[in-house]
Amino acid sequence: MSTDVAEAPIEVVKEPAEALLSKRRKRIVADPLNEDNPITVQVLGICSALAVTVQIKPTIIMSLAVVFVIVFSNLIVSLIRNSIPARIRIIVQLAIIATLVTLVSEFLKAYSYDMYKILGAYVGLIITNCIVMGRLEAFAMANKPYDSLLDGFGSGFGYAWIILAVAFFRELFGSGSILNVEIYEPIGNMLGVTLQTNGLMVDSIGAFMILGIIIWIQRTKNGYVEH
Amino acid sequence: MQRSNSYIIIFAITLTVILGGALSLTSVVLKPLQDKQVELDTKKKILGAVMDISNIEDPNEILRIYNEKVKSLVVDLEGNELTTDPKGNPYVAENVNIQKNSKMDAKDRAYPVFMFIENGQVEAYIFPTFGAGLWDWISSYVAFGEDLNTIKGIAFDHKSETPGLGARLTEPAVQARFVGKKIYDQNDNLVSVYVVKGEGNTGLTDYEVDGLSGATMTTKGVNVMLQHYLECYSAYIEKVKSQKS
Amino acid sequence: MEALNIAIKSIFIDNMVFAYFLGMCSFLAVSKKVKTALGLGAAVIFVLTITVPLNWVIQEKVLKEGAMAWMGADFASVDLTFLQFIIFIAVIAAMVQLVEMVIEKFSPALYGSLGIFLPLIAVNCAILGSSLFMVQRDYTVVEATAFGFGSGTGFFMAIVALAAIRERLKYSNVPDGLKGLGITMIITGLMGLAFKSFIGIAL
Repeated sequence: MSTDVAEAPIEVVKEPAEALLSKRRKRIVADPLNEDNPITVQVLGICSALAVTVQIKPTIIMSLAVVFVIVFSNLIVSLIRNSIPARIRIIVQLAIIATLVTLVSEFLKAYSYDMYKILGAYVGLIITNCIVMGRLEAFAMANKPYDSLLDGFGSGFGYAWIILAVAFFRELFGSGSILNVEIYEPIGNMLGVTLQTNGLMVDSIGAFMILGIIIWIQRTKNGYVEH
Repeated sequence: MQRSNSYIIIFAITLTVILGGALSLTSVVLKPLQDKQVELDTKKKILGAVMDISNIEDPNEILRIYNEKVKSLVVDLEGNELTTDPKGNPYVAENVNIQKNSKMDAKDRAYPVFMFIENGQVEAYIFPTFGAGLWDWISSYVAFGEDLNTIKGIAFDHKSETPGLGARLTEPAVQARFVGKKIYDQNDNLVSVYVVKGEGNTGLTDYEVDGLSGATMTTKGVNVMLQHYLECYSAYIEKVKSQKS
Repeated sequence: MEALNIAIKSIFIDNMVFAYFLGMCSFLAVSKKVKTALGLGAAVIFVLTITVPLNWVIQEKVLKEGAMAWMGADFASVDLTFLQFIIFIAVIAAMVQLVEMVIEKFSPALYGSLGIFLPLIAVNCAILGSSLFMVQRDYTVVEATAFGFGSGTGFFMAIVALAAIRERLKYSNVPDGLKGLGITMIITGLMGLAFKSFIGIAL
C-alpha cells in the first residue's frame, strides 16, 4: 500500500476570515426583504399562510412558525448537505421540514391551544410552503451553514412582513380593529357616525385584492416589470 | 454526486431514526400538557354556560372550580344513563366527541349531561349541542335552571361564521339575550327557543330571542340545532322532572 | 347523498383556491396557457382522488389514538398522531412517484401530457391540505373520496378559467408594476367573488 505515502500534500489555502456580518452577508438577509422578496418577486409561498391573515394575531404566530421552520431547515440541510444522496434529496428535505413543522404544531398544542385551534390545518401546510423547499434547493444545498441561517432569516422575514401587511389591512377594514383593539368604534363615536366594516376583507377575496395592490406598489417602487 | 444504493439506504434509515426519535420524544414530553389543554378547553366551555370565567386567568383555578361543582353523566335517547360505551369502556361525559356524535343516528348517540352543583343542590343542567351554521359547524353549551325549562345561560362556539355578523353569537351581549327564555309552553309541550329575524325586535314572547341583523342563515342554524338537541334530550328532561315531583 | 353534497360543495363553495388559498404556487405559475393548465388540473384531480382516501385509511387504521386496536389489545392505546404530517407527505410523495411510473409504463401518451406535472404536485399545498382537512372534518371513507375528487375538480376549474383569462390579458394595457403577479392576484379575487354566488347550493 504505497499509495498512502504517495498522497499529495493537501494545499491549504487560507482565506481571510469573513466578517460576521460582511457586506455580502448583509445582502443575503436584506435582499429577500425587498428587492428579491419571496412573495412579491419570486412568487413563492402564497399558498397556506394567506388564509390566516384575517386577523393580525394568528398571522404573527404563523409568521414566527414559518421563520422557525425555514431557518432551522436551512441550517440542518446546510450542515448535512454533503452527505445527502442526490437521488433522495427531495424526500430528505421534506422529512426534515415535516419534522420541524410537527414540532411547531406540538408546541402550539401544548402551550397555546387557542392558537392551535385557530390555525388548524394551516400549520401543517407550512410543509408545502414553496418558500421553505425553494430556499433549501436554491441556497442551503450549496452554501455554508452560517450563510444558510442568514438566508433563512432573510426569506422568513421577507415573507412575514408581507403577510403581516395583508393581515393589518384585512383586520382594520374587515373587523374595524387592530390586534383585537377596536379602532372603528372610538373613531365613529368621535365623529358621531357608525363606520361600517367591509365584509369583503374578511373573505378570501379581500386577501387577494390587498396582496395584488401591495405587489403593485412594491414593484412600481423597485421598477420591477414581469413579462 | 452518485452514491451506492447501500449508502442511500443507510442514510435514509439513520435519518428516519433520528427524526422519528426527536418527534416521539417531544410527543411523549408534551402529551400531558396537551391533554390538559384539551381538557381545560372543554371544561371552560361548559363552565362558560353558567358563569363568567373570562377573568379567571389561572387554568388550575378553572379546573378546581369544575371538579368541585360539576358532575356529569351520559344518557341515551330514552334518557337512561349509559355507563359503558359500545366497546365496553366506561363513559366520560367530557370526552364524548359531540361533533362525531352529531353525524350518527339520533338513537345511537351518547348524550352528555353536566350538572352544576351549588350547596348540594343542582343549580343548572348543561347540554351540549352541535349543528351547522352558514359556513361550517356551530355548537353551544346551553344551561337550564333546576326547572329544566328556563335558560340560565348559553355559550356558543363556531368554526368560521362571518366576523361581525354570524360570529357575534359568541359575544356576551348576544348570549345574554337567551337568559330567562323558556323552552316549554304552559301545557308542557316542548317548543324550544326561536331566534327571530332582524334585530331590535320588541314584544318578544318567552320563547323568542332577538336576532342578529345580517346573520339570518346563522340564526336559522341555531334554531334548528337547539330544537333538534332539545328534542333528543327531552326524554331525559321528562325523567328528571318526574323524579322531582 | 352526503358524499355528493360534499363533492359539490368542495368544487364550488369551498373551492381550494378561492376559499382556502391552497395550491396557489402552481396555480399562479402554470396558468399562463390553457393547455398546460388542463394538464396540471387533470393531474391534481387524479392524485387527490387517490391520496385522500389512502391517507384516510392510514389515519383511521394507524395514526389515530386507539386506531391500531385491530392489531390486538396491546396496541389499543397507541397514539401516533404526531407522525401525521410526516406520514401524509411521504404517502403523497410516494404515490405521486408511483403514479408517474405506472403511467409512463402503460400509457406513454398520457405520460406525455400529465407526466411533467406530477413531480410538481408532490409539494402542491392543495394535495396535503385536502388530506389535513379530511382529518379535521371527520369524513367517512366515501365522503373522503368524494371530497378528494371534488377538491381536485375545483382546482381544475379554477386554474383552467384563470389560464383562459390570462391568455386574453396579453392584449390588455396593464400598468407596468401590476403586470404578471399583481393583476393575476386581483383577477383571482374577482373570480372568487363570482364563485361566491354558489353559496347556499346544497342537495
